[in-house]
Amino acid sequence: MDSTLIPRGLERASFGKFLLWILPWAALFGVGLYAMYLCLADGLYHTNMDNRFAFGLWIYLDLTVIALGAGAFFTGFLLYILHRRELSAVINSAVVLGLICYSGAVVVLMVDVGQPLRAWFTFWHPNVHSMLTEVTFCLTCYLLVLAIEYAPIVLKNRRLRQVPRFLAFEFELHKVMPVLAGVGTFLSFFHQGSLGGLYGVLRGRPFAFREELGIWPSTFFLFVVSAAAAGPSFVLLTTWLVQKITRKQLVENEVFMFLGKVSGIMLLVYVFLKAVDTLVWINSTSPAAGFPAFEYYARTSFGTWILFTEIVLLGLVPALILVSGRLRAKPAWLFSAALMTCLGIMLNRFVMTIQTLALPTLPFDEFLSYAPSWEEVATFLAVLAYGVLIYSLTFRYTVLFPQERDLLKH
Amino acid sequence: MFPWVYGFKWSAGHLIFLSVFFSVLGTVSGSVVTAAFRSAKDLRQRTADAMRWEMEFEELPRKARSCRHEITGEVRHRTCDHEFDCRTCSVHPTFLAQAAATSRPEDPAAGTFGLAMPTDRLYHRGHAWVKPEGDGTCTIGLDDFGARLVGTPDAVELPLPGTHLNANGTGWHFVRGGERLRILSPVDGEVLKQGSMDQGWLLRVRADDSEPATRHLLRGGEVRPWIMHELERLEFSLGSSGVGATLADGGEMVSDLRAAYPGVAWESFCSPFFLEG
Repeated sequence: MDSTLIPRGLERASFGKFLLWILPWAALFGVGLYAMYLCLADGLYHTNMDNRFAFGLWIYLDLTVIALGAGAFFTGFLLYILHRRELSAVINSAVVLGLICYSGAVVVLMVDVGQPLRAWFTFWHPNVHSMLTEVTFCLTCYLLVLAIEYAPIVLKNRRLRQVPRFLAFEFELHKVMPVLAGVGTFLSFFHQGSLGGLYGVLRGRPFAFREELGIWPSTFFLFVVSAAAAGPSFVLLTTWLVQKITRKQLVENEVFMFLGKVSGIMLLVYVFLKAVDTLVWINSTSPAAGFPAFEYYARTSFGTWILFTEIVLLGLVPALILVSGRLRAKPAWLFSAALMTCLGIMLNRFVMTIQTLALPTLPFDEFLSYAPSWEEVATFLAVLAYGVLIYSLTFRYTVLFPQERDLLKH
Repeated sequence: MFPWVYGFKWSAGHLIFLSVFFSVLGTVSGSVVTAAFRSAKDLRQRTADAMRWEMEFEELPRKARSCRHEITGEVRHRTCDHEFDCRTCSVHPTFLAQAAATSRPEDPAAGTFGLAMPTDRLYHRGHAWVKPEGDGTCTIGLDDFGARLVGTPDAVELPLPGTHLNANGTGWHFVRGGERLRILSPVDGEVLKQGSMDQGWLLRVRADDSEPATRHLLRGGEVRPWIMHELERLEFSLGSSGVGATLADGGEMVSDLRAAYPGVAWESFCSPFFLEG
């Protein structure tokens, strides 16, 4: 039925099978859209957030997907700026993942902030001293860059290529990709950092507050490095997952190995910096604010196990696996370590968002608990469904993995 | 400086932040506008075919992009980076000189695996042949390998006399069962006359120069290893996924491959051999 839209030389499932695959995701997306409508039309009382627990599942989702979506900027940086040509095998996929993550985050942020018709206020009335302004500006600019980078992938479709204007535009867009990759790297550095800096400047939350390095708190740099570590792992993991689902080899094993190596090195740097930062915080920053650090871990729900899991189990362990050439060569180790890396970064963002807000800071404060409402969960799942839909459609109708044809019969 | 920013003040914070922001916006929009402007210029100055070929060549399977000198065994591994236009390749003359110094007489008994590939013709990697007529014109047709892939087409869409063809641009199309297959033009020139499959040739073309530029076309001793290379690709494409390389059975290529393999998606299957991305 849609065979004339499928790239030549690639094998795809029948249209019926494809419909069966996307229908449940479309239904999930529909439920999420309804939940978003409720929140936008009636207000945030549909959520379980309140004035004291103002950052919930959605902000956690935003931070997580933006960290995982960093594969787009970091892969682009390695390919176009550092000329690591082997990454051309996954750059399209990384861009699509980035676009999904960032657009999903922006949509959820719009629902969270509310009043989407006034979204332009943040550009018209910028508070140049706010980390959030930097995040907003960089995020929207980078989303624009990702949309432009996505355009040639869509224009690769064989039917669209029949149109000379599209063909010529695609041809020329490829030439400006290094410029866009450079801009993307610049923007990503700042918004990833500012998202971290957002927590580091919270003087009223000593659990998150950090000393400044230059004009930024240490969390600024930790978020940049951790995103650069998680991004390649997420690209690696999704590519492997797509291979498993489609039962096709899409990229050569060397590409997986290289992504794993890059992720491992960045993760090792991150774990070192995080360990130093934690030690400084335990011994200096937190006591100076009047809070012995281990008081934060007195509750079993957020005990010291969470710190150990974040830094050692899901940080140091996968980093050592990924930097070891011998272990990296074994797929089970490689993919497990990539999964652990992503889980580690997800846990870090959870700790920074949820644990920070849950812990009491004033004498009359109590430990706050929060469980998201169904509308929050549905919106969260809608982003996941949206991602699967966009990725599935792009995979079916464009050449997402240039090596796929070469590897078809292997 | 930033009159459109509400509440702008001449402070370092405002200046730095907004300068960076507008520089980024300027770079991004400038890049897109440049791409749009240049694409319009491209369409005026170049043919869409030339751009399409440049992009599609990169997307062809690696085996389809092997250099002719790798196929003949002159070099162990070399992938073409000149879109099969040896006229612009600086390495090609070196290989030619080496081949001339060590040339061996061709074995007249060595066939082309049951395919008719006359030696008086030059062959394009996209399976069109060219026969220079000596008067500045040349005859163009589809080689036997290509003809067996195409089988019996429902229609052949040939360019009208007067049409200008570009080497590696669209030459003509075959239509079969509602699917359309593009064949690349092997030379630059103007179409003088149309032929037909029954006549054994499809186009008569007057070259742009006094003699057709044919340096990029395969000839003589190159044809046999190239056909072997193409047959290997064909066997590999028809093999089952996951089996890997298997021994050939030694048979000849059937005269109508599509009829022999009715389950194969014809256009998708054939296009890599005709260098269509």
